[in-house]
Amino acid sequence: MKDTEKVGQRLALLKGISLSPADLEWIASEIEDLERVVAELEEFGRDTPWTAMPVQPPDKKV
Amino acid sequence: MAAADICELNLTDLSRLIAARELSSSEVVSAILAHLERLEDKLNAFITVLREPALAAAKKADEDIARGQYRGPLHGVPVTIKDMFETAGVRTTGGSKILADWIPETDAALVERLNAAGAIIIGKTNLDEFGHGGTSTLSHFGPVHNPWNIDRIAGGSSGGSAAAVASGIGPLSYGTETGSSVRRPASYCGITGFKATFGIISRHGSFRGAWSQDHVGLFARSVKDITLGLDPVAGFDSRDPASVHQENPTYAARLDANMKGLRVGVLRRFLDGVNPEVRQAFDAALKFFAGAGCELIDLDVPEVSYAAMTSMMTSSAESAGINRRWFRERHQDFVPHVSRGIAVGMTITASEYLTVQRARHRIREALRATYKRVDIIASPTTARVAPLLSDGVKGNGDDTRHASYNHSNLLRFPSMLGLPGCSLPCGFNAEGMPIGMQLIGNWFADQTVLNTAFAYQSTTDWHTRRPALVST
Repeated sequence: MKDTEKVGQRLALLKGISLSPADLEWIASEIEDLERVVAELEEFGRDTPWTAMPVQPPDKKV
Repeated sequence: MAAADICELNLTDLSRLIAARELSSSEVVSAILAHLERLEDKLNAFITVLREPALAAAKKADEDIARGQYRGPLHGVPVTIKDMFETAGVRTTGGSKILADWIPETDAALVERLNAAGAIIIGKTNLDEFGHGGTSTLSHFGPVHNPWNIDRIAGGSSGGSAAAVASGIGPLSYGTETGSSVRRPASYCGITGFKATFGIISRHGSFRGAWSQDHVGLFARSVKDITLGLDPVAGFDSRDPASVHQENPTYAARLDANMKGLRVGVLRRFLDGVNPEVRQAFDAALKFFAGAGCELIDLDVPEVSYAAMTSMMTSSAESAGINRRWFRERHQDFVPHVSRGIAVGMTITASEYLTVQRARHRIREALRATYKRVDIIASPTTARVAPLLSDGVKGNGDDTRHASYNHSNLLRFPSMLGLPGCSLPCGFNAEGMPIGMQLIGNWFADQTVLNTAFAYQSTTDWHTRRPALVST
């Protein structure tokens, strides 16, 4: 997928919010980076366990 | 005592004089309020000043103390709080137009505990909107100015609190930190800032910046003062899901300046881009630690080079979640830069957020292993002194987009991981701007951090310097 399509996909998540052209331009330039950042962090964390928040109340003990 | 002299007093001395009834709370609060009025148009450190309620509370404090009903070191002492903490009957804005006229009906846990301790809240300090920023220029109520040079920023997001304490407008202030919002403004304003281990101080009733990284922190003129402000507010609170059980906090009583054998780690590769004057001040501080019997250990923890990116992505996604409703309904009422940042956060997907948490876990494990080798990780708090207001938000020079040995990683990893951290002054540059050093401890080793900072301040006097503004 082209980078512009990826940016477009992310911008689609803001559908319904009226943003100025200047805002959109700024946001688009920021989210261009996000694909790369996520890819780097995904590679970095690859062999690490998925983290989870305990569901049980914190004051419960064995 | 002259009003100007009262404003020069630190918390330790003020508290002692009020307890001994050599000063009344009413005298102190009046002097501090007059000082505030004199400086505020230069600093813009406050959103709301509680003049009449504070004077009334001070009068009551004097009456209670006279009857022998002394509550402790904060009784009758004027303090300030970042306008992130709900205060019953008092406008609480978060620095935002959205809540410009909101008056809560209940107090945040911090406010409850300060009231129980007899502290006198004299005002709500200015900040980056809802804690989103590192400059305190992103406020609906205008930017905060640095008392050392009013053309420079105070740092954020707790800039109003830092500027207040640095200027002598109260000896103690409470702020919050998600990325570096206590340590950075403390460094830029030449005062001591402390952020405890995640969960030590309840966040109940304070606005969320990013729930897994938000902390309550303190500003004061010394570590000794910090501990007097910490003891009454630390402690379990079931209303904060992150709150931890702990024995009765007694940080002040356990301060100890003996550092012999303390292992101080330095992540040297991350210091390459630090301003030379900042680096020089930090290196001098390291010599102090070595001379005091510490073991200095060079560290290389390459995982930390991903900390700024991980922290940024986590904050961005969590703040989007927190602000989602307001953003969809009235995004135009946020400060523009904050609104744009939330928009970016809203494009981060759930699977991406979870992927980022794996990276966070890896960094956490790397630090867990590191703290088996060291007790403290020391570094300059910021890579440069406070930038000019005219430089805008980029003036801080943060890089949260690249995995690198950039100093931004050192600034971000403590809050991302919930480690205790203290920023304290360690010098000044040629233009007279403060330089800060941060000491980061292991989880729940808050006393070690405080003791190390206390030892440094027992022998140096950087923390006693005052900006010229306060005496003009």
